[in-house]
Amino acid sequence: MKNIFELIKKDFTRFVNDKTAVLLTFLVPAVLIIIFGNIFGGGGSSRGKANVIFVNKSNSEIAKIIEEKLDSSSSIRLVKKYRIEETDSIAEFTEEKAIEYIKAGKHPAAVVFPSDFLSDTSIAMNIKFYYDPRNEIESAIIQGGIQQTIFTQLPQIFPALLTRQANEFLGDEDGEGFRNEMADIVSSYFGVPKDSILNFTSSQISSGLSSEETSDSSSGSFIENLIKFDSVQLVGANLKNPQVTRIVGGWAIMFLLFTLTAIATSLFEEKQEGTLKRLLCMPVTRTEILLSKYYFSMALGIIQLMVLFVFSWAIFDVDIFSNFLNLIVVIVISASAAVSFGMIITAHATSISQANGVATLLILIMSAVGGSWFPTFLFPDWLQVVAKFTLTYWSVEAFQQIMWRQAELSAIYLNLIILIAISVIFNSYAVYRFNKGNIF
Amino acid sequence: MLKITNLSKSFNEIIALDNVSLEINSGEFFGLLGPNGAGKTTLMNHIIGFLKSDSGEILLNNNAIKYGDKNIRYKIGYVPQEIALYQELSAYKNLKIFGSLFNLSKKELNKNIDKTLELVQLTDRKSSAVKEFSGGMKRRLNLAISILHNPEILLCDEPTVGVDPQSRNAIFEMLQELNQQGITIIYTTHYMEEAERLCNRLAIIDGGQIIASGSLMDLLNKLDSKETLKIHKTPESIELYEKLTKISTINEFDFKYELIPNKDFQKYSQLYKYFEEIGLPSDLIEISRASLEDVFLHLTGRRIRD
Ligand SMILES: Nc1ncnc2c1ncn2[C@@H]1O[C@H](COP(=O)(O)OP(=O)(O)OP(=O)(O)O)[C@@H](O)[C@H]1O
Ligand SMILES: [Mg+2]
Repeated sequence: MKNIFELIKKDFTRFVNDKTAVLLTFLVPAVLIIIFGNIFGGGGSSRGKANVIFVNKSNSEIAKIIEEKLDSSSSIRLVKKYRIEETDSIAEFTEEKAIEYIKAGKHPAAVVFPSDFLSDTSIAMNIKFYYDPRNEIESAIIQGGIQQTIFTQLPQIFPALLTRQANEFLGDEDGEGFRNEMADIVSSYFGVPKDSILNFTSSQISSGLSSEETSDSSSGSFIENLIKFDSVQLVGANLKNPQVTRIVGGWAIMFLLFTLTAIATSLFEEKQEGTLKRLLCMPVTRTEILLSKYYFSMALGIIQLMVLFVFSWAIFDVDIFSNFLNLIVVIVISASAAVSFGMIITAHATSISQANGVATLLILIMSAVGGSWFPTFLFPDWLQVVAKFTLTYWSVEAFQQIMWRQAELSAIYLNLIILIAISVIFNSYAVYRFNKGNIF
Repeated sequence: MLKITNLSKSFNEIIALDNVSLEINSGEFFGLLGPNGAGKTTLMNHIIGFLKSDSGEILLNNNAIKYGDKNIRYKIGYVPQEIALYQELSAYKNLKIFGSLFNLSKKELNKNIDKTLELVQLTDRKSSAVKEFSGGMKRRLNLAISILHNPEILLCDEPTVGVDPQSRNAIFEMLQELNQQGITIIYTTHYMEEAERLCNRLAIIDGGQIIASGSLMDLLNKLDSKETLKIHKTPESIELYEKLTKISTINEFDFKYELIPNKDFQKYSQLYKYFEEIGLPSDLIEISRASLEDVFLHLTGRRIRD
């Protein structure tokens, strides 16, 4: 046990001595978070909103509700009017005019609610989104912002919709079938499990637009959590920097993976330098060396995440303290999963360059697909499915829920279980390989 | 003190150790002499419990050394053949890191570090990063780390490879001093002169087998003659090669012929007479005391370094 501690101290000494490693672990992620935080969310109070042309051709009640919500959105500013140069007058945007503006590069994107925004036969919402591919990132943010707004207003919109539609057109008998149909659509639209929509009880439905009160109910279903979050959003209190919150979690996880993989693959370095053999010719066992690497990686990972979160709090006012204990839990479990990723790479590689090559590739893919860089809700359906096969996804989502929605652990238990399972399975396999093979 | 019996080890089809038996006594400076790939390092790796043997056993003070045996590492120090140091850290930190694994008290460790730094003459460079060291300095530090825990036995695996003569001498003196303090030393090398210079007793290992062991005298006695006769290669002597084969068997080296005279030419007077007859310039003739090199050649028909 004492030797494990000494070995951890050794790894720590080596790490601190390696200025590049320290920079890569703390400074580079911090700088990237600043840069991307500013691009996506803007810093502190001076952050700007993304401008988007908005045309509402629908006279549906729902469209109006959404428009209102978008108007009060913290990430988007709806531009509804434009100036006519010749007559020096102001006019409302039309769809044609919006397209013209985007083509001319005067605006990055436009959102149009067409007249068939809500058709009588379906409750799917038709929204047209025009954008200039040159502004892909900004478009993605706008699209994300709109989806987010709709998504978070869902519990308010759909009950209203449901009661209205059901009563008007279907009558009691077909109500059940309609609910089913709606659940299908909502489920495919928002990736919400159908069951949780169906469990959305009629009492909640009837509370309709004044659903804020229901947020106190504690059964933890997905929709209920949404309602809860919703009310937070409406008062505009806690969440100062939603986009940055996501970015911090995403980038932190990516760099965590890089850092911890580097630590794990340093076993190769030690093998090459002969120090590993030297240690093994001293009163030290293989298991002790592995454990020391594991504990050191965990400690470093936790420190790295803490530093990055505290940093994002200092710079961007990201709220890390209201849900601090839960945040710590997610940090520890994420670090553990990232360590196990490094371990399994090391256990499988035959050389350090192979290990680093494979790790870099996998980390970049996982980060892109798993939502480190862009929110996964912007992805096409199939990619959203693929995302779930990455460690990154479960970790980023967990951070999101914890910091954005102030969720309790019960709301992210699946994320935590999956991350823990990844840790346990990967680590056991790595230990098995280390002890069996002649790798080291 | 250390008794190795019928130790064998193969790596796939390569037989690295073939039924090795050896006994090393307390306080000895024991040499293990052999060419590249002879199995020297493999043998050391078994003594320190780093490798698992296929068969045979090693006893240290009548206790069997097992694979991965932690306890024996408190008693044995191992100087690996490769320089095994944290290059980016200082000499002092290296000593501290490795020394802290031996259950020494902080005070004792610090004392040993100071003492060892003094012994390897690195006290004034202890704060420099190892990567800034010369080859000789690295070798000395490599050795220093292995003696921090006051081992009873020190295994030195070719500790002078790539070292300048000055550092090499310093290492010799250090090891002799340690030996005088009572530490048993097992020293591998393929330099015959080193073995002669340092060791009271030695074993010659080749192809995983111990082909001879004993004191220097014991080994030299295996030769028919205590002296060797060599002729420097020059255009004249090369021309006379055929004629020289008439009176002796010749081992050809890069710059010399070694002559092993036939029965009728055992006396120098007979030889010199013949050389004069065939016109060999006498200043090309070299007579020297036989060395381990000759023993090796005699036993294997090969030179130790090809
Ligand atoms: N881990 C290993 N895997 C496969 N073969 C090995 C391994 N270690 C040693 N060998 C083989 O065993 C034989 C003995 O090697 P060893 O390293 O003991 O030789 P050595 O006497 O120390 O040589 P040198 O003077 O070059 O250090 C060699 O043929 C070598 O290739
Ligand atoms: Mg060797």
